[in-house]
Amino acid sequence: MISVSQLSKKFGDLAVLKEIDFEVAKGEIVVIIGPSGTGKSTLLRCLNYLETPTTGHITIGPASIDATSYKAKEVTALRKQSSFVFQNYSLFANKTAIQNVAESLITVWNTPKHDALATAEAILIKVGLAEKLDVYPSQLSGGQQQRVGIARAMAAKGEVILFDEPTSALDPEWVDEVLAVMKKLAFEKQTMIVVTHEMQFAKEVADRVIFMEDGYIVEQGTPQQIFTNPEHERTKAFVKRALKQH
Amino acid sequence: MQSSFDLQYIIELMPILLKYLGVTMEMALWGFLFALIIALTLALVRVFKIAVIQHIASLYISFFRGTPLLVQLFLLYYGFPQFMPIFVGMDAFTAAIIGLSLHFSAYMAESMRAAILGIDKSQMEACLSIGMTRLQAMKRIILPQASRVATPSLMNYFIDMIKSTSLAFTLGVAEIMAKAQMEASSSFKFFESFLAVAVIYWVVVIFFTRIQHLLEYKLNKAY
Repeated sequence: MISVSQLSKKFGDLAVLKEIDFEVAKGEIVVIIGPSGTGKSTLLRCLNYLETPTTGHITIGPASIDATSYKAKEVTALRKQSSFVFQNYSLFANKTAIQNVAESLITVWNTPKHDALATAEAILIKVGLAEKLDVYPSQLSGGQQQRVGIARAMAAKGEVILFDEPTSALDPEWVDEVLAVMKKLAFEKQTMIVVTHEMQFAKEVADRVIFMEDGYIVEQGTPQQIFTNPEHERTKAFVKRALKQH
Repeated sequence: MQSSFDLQYIIELMPILLKYLGVTMEMALWGFLFALIIALTLALVRVFKIAVIQHIASLYISFFRGTPLLVQLFLLYYGFPQFMPIFVGMDAFTAAIIGLSLHFSAYMAESMRAAILGIDKSQMEACLSIGMTRLQAMKRIILPQASRVATPSLMNYFIDMIKSTSLAFTLGVAEIMAKAQMEASSSFKFFESFLAVAVIYWVVVIFFTRIQHLLEYKLNKAY
């Protein structure tokens, strides 16, 4: 359903992504791990075209785009196929929780306001925020904000939800409630690509783990393979270090 | 010639001047409305960096900030009709409104642009990530937030514009400054006449400053 081929991204002379190829099936939960600054977030941002790839081809569901010759229309179409959960939540500051979630339905999908709000309410109830519908982001805790962020991504009707280190900015006390929501989504077979340093989450939830370093996909496989029996020395070293920390 | 201060004269002059306050406020309100529209257009052109037009916008802003309002008013009202026939029939009141809105829009565009650029980049990214276009994002998320930031400085420009309408008397608009000038020349009570008009401007400005504070209070409470 998602297919990425020969995806490269350069910032000036610095190559951050080097001809990445991978595919994700519908309902699959893919976790990307790797050292900081190796292009994991950039890869995710390219999928949503928040970052414009230098070269390569991206297909998500019915939308397809070639980085060397793309049109604004194609970018919008591609973005509609995915939604994004940001490290720093990035909720709309001037909108309440329910308005944040309903925004994509109203603006992008032209859903009647009444229906959009009803859908948004149902999603917020699902992520455990029934009490916070009409609260502005500034009044919410980090964990609550990120749950609204996930709810917003769920409402956007994309095929896949992209998570960019969703728990990295959170105080430790809020991490579990956010991971719990993500596990719930994974259980429902929502297609997800998650960049995270939460190795326990990767072990428990991922169908496939991708290890990235230096702009390359070094190795990928089931959590079992990657965490207990990695092929490459670099994967071994990273996994050993990462598991020790957690 | 030394004369004693005539309070009675000021009290009698006040209602005569106040009859012309309507003209002053009309110029300020229309001028501000048009200035807002022009300024928003200029600000968006510059924020979106629209090819070619953004350079025209920069030139426009540079010119109207770089030359005195009085010169711009004279150029518009006395100068342009000589070259462009459509300006020939233009009355002084209209010319003053056009001049004020062109002049102030240049300043207001810059403070709007600053307010828009001051909104965190992540707000735009969040909009794009759920499939909104840049224009939708601007309209529904960025501008509402930026307007809160820009309101205090825009209100300052409005207050400044009220005072600047006094220059319209040089074009022959019968507003409060012109009336005060006329009364002063016939009664020779220059001090009293100009003091009276100063007090009127001052009271009007105090009134709008109160409104500005109320508005800011409301906006700050919003979210």
